[in-house]
Amino acid sequence: MKIVVCIKQVPETNNVKIDPVTHNLDRRGLAGVMNPFDKNAVELALNLKDTTGAEVALLTMGPDDYAESVREGMAMGADSGYLLSDRAFAGADTLATGYVIAQALKKIGDADLILFGRQAVDADTGQVGPIVAEFLNQPQITYAASLRMSGPNEVTAERLLEDTKQTLVAQLPAVVSVRSELNTPRYPTPRNIQLSFEKPLTVWHHDDLDLDDTRLGQSGSPTVVTKVYAPKPVKRELTPLTGTPSEAASQLIKALKERQLI
Amino acid sequence: MPSTTAAAEKLLLQMVDDYTEREISPQDMPMDKAGDFPAGFIQKLTDTGFLGIMLPQEFGGAGFGPEVTANVLNHIARGNASTAVTLEGHFKTIDQILKYGTPALQKALLPSATDRIFAFSMTEASGGSNPMGIGSTATREGDHWVITGDKIMITNGGLAQVYCVLVKTAPKELSVFVVDQDMPGFSFGKREDFLGLKGTPVGEIVMDHIIVDDDHLLGKVGDGGLIGDSAHDDARILMGAVLTGIMEHDLKIATDYAKERKAGDTPLTDLQVTHRKVADIAMRKETTKLLYQKAAQLKAAGQPYSEEAAMAKAHGSRAAVSAGDDTLQILAGYGYSREYPVEHLIRDARAMEIAEGTVEKMRSAIAKAEFNK
Repeated sequence: MKIVVCIKQVPETNNVKIDPVTHNLDRRGLAGVMNPFDKNAVELALNLKDTTGAEVALLTMGPDDYAESVREGMAMGADSGYLLSDRAFAGADTLATGYVIAQALKKIGDADLILFGRQAVDADTGQVGPIVAEFLNQPQITYAASLRMSGPNEVTAERLLEDTKQTLVAQLPAVVSVRSELNTPRYPTPRNIQLSFEKPLTVWHHDDLDLDDTRLGQSGSPTVVTKVYAPKPVKRELTPLTGTPSEAASQLIKALKERQLI
Repeated sequence: MPSTTAAAEKLLLQMVDDYTEREISPQDMPMDKAGDFPAGFIQKLTDTGFLGIMLPQEFGGAGFGPEVTANVLNHIARGNASTAVTLEGHFKTIDQILKYGTPALQKALLPSATDRIFAFSMTEASGGSNPMGIGSTATREGDHWVITGDKIMITNGGLAQVYCVLVKTAPKELSVFVVDQDMPGFSFGKREDFLGLKGTPVGEIVMDHIIVDDDHLLGKVGDGGLIGDSAHDDARILMGAVLTGIMEHDLKIATDYAKERKAGDTPLTDLQVTHRKVADIAMRKETTKLLYQKAAQLKAAGQPYSEEAAMAKAHGSRAAVSAGDDTLQILAGYGYSREYPVEHLIRDARAMEIAEGTVEKMRSAIAKAEFNK
């Protein structure tokens, strides 16, 4: 069994700035870390490796320094890594990104399970996983909160949505994006950090992949960001609860009933 | 692209910071109150591979060098100094077995250093900074040694399973042997109730006719003073790193508070009295960091580092006590309250004006090194 986990390096800050010209995230000068949701996907793959002996590869697209997150995933226990890096890929939206990742997955070949984190914490779209599934014409399960092998070529996942749970079964090969409820990612041990530098990390540039140039980078991205802004905080009226705890509780019950919340 | 070594250190410190934030820092206050590590804390630290950070890869460790190892303790101490000091006691002991142990002893013992804690014990009721005052002995009987004595105030005493012990092999002759808690004749004594570093166990071991062979001797008979000095030197670098971490913790508390608090209508950040204190804490932190890192670099390069290690500890320990005092003064009543961590950072730092040689002894060593130049 071969599992490929697609990961993204994101800025190590909540204070992300927007480039005023391109309206894209301005990642310059920011330290990068592996997207936290992707760590849940890596942990799932490593659990499956522990139980089934699966081979686990990591795949990412970005500048050279994205190799750090691939290395971190290999220090957690993944066997190998792929970095897709080329100026031609820069400025890609989710569709152009998904296209290049899908082409790389075709070249890697024979992946039984392709995992993603539910979304990246910098842009928060959650689109690349489903786009890759469409490009590869594979079944997909998004927002998986649990996953198990339910047959030799079959996974069963519980899909956790806002107010409902779904249990879905997919035949492999399949694409799954996972939620953080799935597991607690392991820490890479100091020894495995050292040993991760002996594992293969393959860098593929533009010419290493079979690509349609009209689908690449900013020019190949149909998404046009016209404006990005932070919503103004809404000031809400506060009504303090007063008196003894019993009186305060009565006031709270009354207020909730008035709003037909109870 | 950074070098493999630099990239590995970056990844390691990223993991250490993450682990410290999620697993160690939340235990800082509870540990000080309870006077011990919480249940399962050391096991999780062990499972995550912390005990093997500086152990060579051939023995199952990660094989990081002196600079990275010190930086790791620096980062851990930002969250909790006791955890860092327990690792310091473990690492300095491994260092002596690597330097002075026979290949047979290293092969037999060191693979277990990834999941067993090691400790180095010198102090006795009759002698601490004066090693010739100790009463423990190793007596030659046939082809083995018989060790008898009582060691106190051992960092990790009671927690560690393997102990390097300084004993007399003749009235004016010191030697170091390695003993294991599983050996017949080995028992634990009382645990100290110290002022600070409340998580780190400091305790006593009793050796009643423990029998060991020659492979359990570090170096040669009579090398005890040399090995004891070496253990102190290695520990002092790591203590400089721990003290830097304590001061970084102080600095964060002081600046966070000053940015929120006003004196009347004036923010504390606008007061010169705050500026002076914060600047002093920052300068003490930075000078200690430079000292421990220089000593670690010298050690990594195979050059003498004893004087620099003594400077890191002597300067750093007083600097950290003063940094804690300034932080306490900025926070005033909150600083003095046991509900906040500042007062225990002072108590933690104060331990290191004594442990691994008093600051007075450090200054003598530094002065003698200068006289000899």
